Amino acid sequence: MPPHIHPEGTTLRDPSKLFHQTDYIRRLIIASYWVIIILAIPLWWQTTSIERLSLPTSRVHAQAENKLRFPVHIKLESVQDASLPSALRHLLQDRIRRSPQAWKGLDVRVREVRDGQDVDAVEPADSYTIKADDGIPLVSQRQLTYPVRGGTLPILADALASLLVPPIDAHRVAQYSPRYRLAFTLLNEDAAAGKSISGWDISGAISRHLSPILSGLSVLHNFTIESQVQFHAPLAFSPTRLDKGYGLTPEDLTVFVNSAEWSLSSSVSNDPVLHFIVFIPSASRRPLQILDAHGLPSSSDAFLLPQWGGIVIYNPPPELDAHVQLPSSALNAVFSAFANQLLALLGVPGLPREMRTDASVLTGWQLDALLRRRALENAEGAQDTLESIVKLVDQIENMPVGQDVRGDVQDALTALDKMYASASASLNETLRQSADALTLASRAFFNPGMLALLYFPAEHNFAVYTPLFASAMIPLIAAAIREVSVWRKQRREAAQALE
Amino acid sequence: MPIHWKPRFLWTLLVPILSIPRSLASETFEEELTIRALPDGKVASRFSFSTLLEGATPRNPQNLSAEDTSQHYTLFPLALGQILREYAVAEMHLTLNAGKWDYERWGYPDETDVGSGAELWAWMGDGAGATVDERWRGLRNALAGLFCASLGSLDELRTTSPAFSFAPHGGVPDAPLPLAIRHASMPSEHVCTENLTSFLKLLPCKSLSGIASLLNPHRLFDADWHGMGLHVAWLPDEGVQVRLTFQSVADPLRASLSKRDWSFASMFDRTIDRTCPSTASSRVIVALPLNEAYSIHPQPSSVEQGHAIFDLEGQNPPLDVSMQWAVDFDHAAVRPRSAEAPLSVRRTLQGSSQDLGRLSVFITNDGTADIQAAYLETMPWIVQFYLHTMTLRVDGVTRDDLIQNISYIPPIPHARAMTFQAVLALPARSTVHLSIDVRKAFLRYTEHPPDAQRGWDLPPAVLVPLGIGSGVERHGRRIYTPTLLVDLATPDFSMPYNVIIFSCTLVAYIFASVFNLLTRRFVVLHAELN
Repeated sequence: MPPHIHPEGTTLRDPSKLFHQTDYIRRLIIASYWVIIILAIPLWWQTTSIERLSLPTSRVHAQAENKLRFPVHIKLESVQDASLPSALRHLLQDRIRRSPQAWKGLDVRVREVRDGQDVDAVEPADSYTIKADDGIPLVSQRQLTYPVRGGTLPILADALASLLVPPIDAHRVAQYSPRYRLAFTLLNEDAAAGKSISGWDISGAISRHLSPILSGLSVLHNFTIESQVQFHAPLAFSPTRLDKGYGLTPEDLTVFVNSAEWSLSSSVSNDPVLHFIVFIPSASRRPLQILDAHGLPSSSDAFLLPQWGGIVIYNPPPELDAHVQLPSSALNAVFSAFANQLLALLGVPGLPREMRTDASVLTGWQLDALLRRRALENAEGAQDTLESIVKLVDQIENMPVGQDVRGDVQDALTALDKMYASASASLNETLRQSADALTLASRAFFNPGMLALLYFPAEHNFAVYTPLFASAMIPLIAAAIREVSVWRKQRREAAQALE
Repeated sequence: MPIHWKPRFLWTLLVPILSIPRSLASETFEEELTIRALPDGKVASRFSFSTLLEGATPRNPQNLSAEDTSQHYTLFPLALGQILREYAVAEMHLTLNAGKWDYERWGYPDETDVGSGAELWAWMGDGAGATVDERWRGLRNALAGLFCASLGSLDELRTTSPAFSFAPHGGVPDAPLPLAIRHASMPSEHVCTENLTSFLKLLPCKSLSGIASLLNPHRLFDADWHGMGLHVAWLPDEGVQVRLTFQSVADPLRASLSKRDWSFASMFDRTIDRTCPSTASSRVIVALPLNEAYSIHPQPSSVEQGHAIFDLEGQNPPLDVSMQWAVDFDHAAVRPRSAEAPLSVRRTLQGSSQDLGRLSVFITNDGTADIQAAYLETMPWIVQFYLHTMTLRVDGVTRDDLIQNISYIPPIPHARAMTFQAVLALPARSTVHLSIDVRKAFLRYTEHPPDAQRGWDLPPAVLVPLGIGSGVERHGRRIYTPTLLVDLATPDFSMPYNVIIFSCTLVAYIFASVFNLLTRRFVVLHAELN
């Protein structure tokens, strides 16, 4: 029996008269769904959005335009001819014009001092003095004694150029770090083959050969020193056989370090390590010599691996007893090689060849040149890094930027500001601020928090949510459309009825 | 110009000068191989490489913030020395073992720490600027890098401080700070070749000469049981000692059923061809059988107290020590329990549900005297004890008087492991049955390991007999129980997207049905009958 057949006597109620079937209530129900959805959208937006604090972009770009300028004041003392200072000034200007890249960041001023009376009343803190005096050129702390005459002026200008902006092989120099670890290793290729070196007076050698250098460089870097001795350190290749002994070709030198077998590196800190290795060839492979490009044994027994460290090959004399300490003569030779390698790795400039010095290790000229170069490098590095962060954050929209990143970027910018402010006052302070800026900028750049959502793109979210949202939204939308069309139809009919 | 900046740098310059006395400290390296036949015909060998840094003391943790002295080492491994100094570790022990040491058949091991998997414990001065827990974390991670082992996962969830059962071996430095212990074990760690490779790198002669040249990974990892250890201790009158050990149990009877003869060549597939020039002493010690006919080759340098000693200095390389027995091995004569170890422990986790279970421990004392023993459980929080359900029975009779001095540090879910320690009185010639109900935790989705279905390995319990020895070794040696495997409720990780899609579809279906009911328009249709 069909359900709409009712027993006699009952009246059929119209469903549209039921409370919940009235148009008003039904529309209210549908509307309330939509209201909740619309109200929930901001909440959903907020809980699923990525924290992206705004970075001081304009400050970063403005800072990138800034260039570090160091004032360099040169005083000419006891000069007979009054025209010499201006002549020197012109010669230096000429050299700056010819190689602007090398002189980048330097404002050179030459002044004349006559009979102790400074022409300029203001005395800059770090100024260099050129004293006219006959004899061999002598470089002191920040003073150069030179026979200043009309004829020697071009040579003086060249000497000044190599003192102020010394040429440096930038590929060799290790990247700046406030602290380096110096790891000294005595490597026996194969101690069991006999005649090995069992130890060395490392502390004595360091205090004799390296401590003066390290103290001279203390304004730039701190150093941690460690050393070890290894008794089995095989090479990863076989050296070339020679008539007498063995040889290392230039190609061999590039693969000399066998990092798989030599346990050189340690993992307790993140400071960059400079390695210094004395390699004692196995008794069956002595003497081991370094060959030049023509395959002939070269006179040197040391070589430098750029930015990594230095290696000295020591062939013990055949008369040496088995298993002894490194002889002191060899130790001195090895450590003076290490000292030179350390200077090269840290980018310490040498003095011009024709000049003598009375300073024990480093003159103020050398140290200042190094400080200026490191500060410039750091400043450029920090600026580049900051620009990269801004660019990266711009490009990748999913990348979160937290408070720590923004804080680091702001601190780096502040350090850069302080660096510019101190550039004319103190080189040490400038370097320190530049190092701070670089450290902070790198820390911001490598902040692990910025990678958080990189690999969790929106597509994944939608793939997971679509089965829920799509299927739930379809009846909602359909009901809304149906209701709207019914409502419009009713209005139209009502309007027609009025007419 | 900031004046205050310079003195800090100047101070660091003094460091190399100050460090001179330390580098003059001499270092000695000794290596030793002990081989003994076990009662069941297997052969236990123990390599021990010890380096002594004479006159050195552990770093005072109060000076951790200050610049450390330069470290100059000749024989002592630099990589390890740096870790010890960086985290101011007074004493530490790391063991990586594979397999179950069978106390009943093999007796006590030469090296005590034989718990399966990785175990690390360290004593460090407490109260300095960097807390013990911070340094413990650093130590874990540094050793994980040094040994290529997953020690980094010995985290807070597995760390406990069982000071009594893991007393320091060496002396306690005269530091003003008290020492604190941290202990963690990881039974599921697999010991592998890369662990041995990094282990060998810490030796002065690597594995190229001396006794270490016998450490052939292909044969060692084929043994019935093997384990390596790193032990650092401060010996008050001598200095800091680093001891690297490797133990293995080889089975000569595997190849031939009746011959238990062994040689270096048969056990390690290598012989000692060269001596390491930097050793102070280099010895092979072979325990000689007591009441059996045998021959040993070559001629030992000396024989002392039933041990043949081969001094590598006096032997002509290549050295291949071999031992032959006159009569075949009699399997029937193997007695199941050696008198050397009167205690034996059996530990099982009962119950089939993923919610509740029961831990059941049987401790048998075969000796003729009553023994007191400290029993230690260090469980991750995933297994929680109901202490009130603990019962002790001997032959079915409840004997609660046998347990004393219970100390219990409850676990904190998702944060801290549990420590349970008690002193048990073990009557002679009887078996004590300890049982306790446990609850198995319900883990968060992200807390499951990658191989979730495998279950969780639980660390071994430790039993320390008390008052057995005399003098310094007042207590007996630690006995490790085998590890347990617990099965926790595990979601189906294989198809998470399918699960998400199915449940979303269901939710959407229910939502749409309710919505339709609420908004549907009902109308009466008058059907014309006929």
